[in-house]
Amino acid sequence: MRKATLLAAILLAAAAGAFAVPADVTYADGDTTLKLKSGKTQDVQVGDKMNTGDTLRTGKDGLAELDQGGVTIKINSGTVFTLMEREAGGKTQTVLSMALGSIKYKYGKISGSEPQVRTNGAAAGVRGTEFTVFAGADGSTLFAVDSGQVDVESEGKTVQLTAAQGVEVPLGQPPGEVVPLHSDQIDYSKWNDDKLASMLADPIGSMATIQSVMDEYGKNATDYYNQYLAANEQLQQAVKTQAQILHDKGAEEANKYQMDVYFPLTHQVSRLVLNYRFYSLAALSLRRFIAGRMYVTLKARYLANQDAPEWKDFEAKFDVFLSTFEQSIAPRLVDADI
Amino acid sequence: MASCAILLALSSCASLQRSSDQGAVKDVAELINAGQVQKLAAMSETPFLVDQEIVSLKADVESFWNGVVKAGFRVQGAALEEAVPADAASYAQFANTFEVKSFFSNYVQKGSRVLRMSTSGGKHILLLVKSDWFSKKLIGFKGPF
Repeated sequence: MRKATLLAAILLAAAAGAFAVPADVTYADGDTTLKLKSGKTQDVQVGDKMNTGDTLRTGKDGLAELDQGGVTIKINSGTVFTLMEREAGGKTQTVLSMALGSIKYKYGKISGSEPQVRTNGAAAGVRGTEFTVFAGADGSTLFAVDSGQVDVESEGKTVQLTAAQGVEVPLGQPPGEVVPLHSDQIDYSKWNDDKLASMLADPIGSMATIQSVMDEYGKNATDYYNQYLAANEQLQQAVKTQAQILHDKGAEEANKYQMDVYFPLTHQVSRLVLNYRFYSLAALSLRRFIAGRMYVTLKARYLANQDAPEWKDFEAKFDVFLSTFEQSIAPRLVDADI
Repeated sequence: MASCAILLALSSCASLQRSSDQGAVKDVAELINAGQVQKLAAMSETPFLVDQEIVSLKADVESFWNGVVKAGFRVQGAALEEAVPADAASYAQFANTFEVKSFFSNYVQKGSRVLRMSTSGGKHILLLVKSDWFSKKLIGFKGPF
């Protein structure tokens, strides 16, 4: 029943985002797979279309390039990239979301309604033309702008980057200091190894940060879901009211009611679904690609010594994290998301 | 006479299956003990389950096996304790969560087996194995517990 209701809501949201621009695959090499919104996984071929909710993953030797409405997205190896949507300011906004790895974005022209670029820890509004985003194993993000201007936002603080500037955003923290930086100077592998090492050096502290971000996602997902339930109830009531008006006052009045009440409610419900799904999928990304990878790495490390206090402490924190996810996020997901 | 033949065939099938399950347990234990990371990685498929965690990236599965070997983990006295077909309810043996339940319904194909391995230290390890006529693939690992 829960599944059927969720699927219906997701279909409604998909209808609202029917005009979202898909990304066309213009280049693919090595290990590149596309996990479709339906849950099916396929190898990536040039000419494939990546739609909202689809995730592209590149392996150790994988590379891919996409064109999304004039934005060139060059996806490097070891990257997880998802095309998402959310509602912001009454409009549907495309979100180019990266969980891990590095991506170079190049904008052909700036229209003012550019997709938002996101990682697990930061969001960027683009007013520039060429920049690279690096997402680390610990949820940190590094932005490097080659040309144009990019506004990087996290935890309520925004910094503005121009050409040859960069900024690092640790997970759950505001952007750091803006520094002179060019994307070519960055050795992603080394940077990422450093991030992983510092995360594993303090597993309890790292879990606390991840937990706080998960709490925020959980709160947003739950808030939007509750709003969706209330709006959906109003929508069901509106259907009945419209039928009554048709019966009592005729087609003209019923059509007027449809335009004035029913359609705006439909749009409101669709936008709320987009948003609770957005936060739920962002939480799943955090859980899978930051927290889950950390668990598996530490699990291997302590496999021969599972009674070590460090592992026991971590397990206890991780159990709390899992419980948060199960309670506030899992009910908003469907099998195909997994 | 016919019923005897059927019984014989069934017992032969069960014996073959038992032998195949024992072989899988022995192979994994030997590869771990020999530090054969590449072979363990090649034998593993993604998505791969570690306890309640779904590992999506091949590189991460390899990294897991590398970590296991590097940590000095060894399986002493590995023996097959129980082997059952993986079914819709098997997820609970790994973790009773939405994700693991979905993992089993999405990725665990008919014919997969849950193998319970015992070790000389009194601990257990669960292996989730997918097999066809030509090969065995590991799609999950839990333990030791």
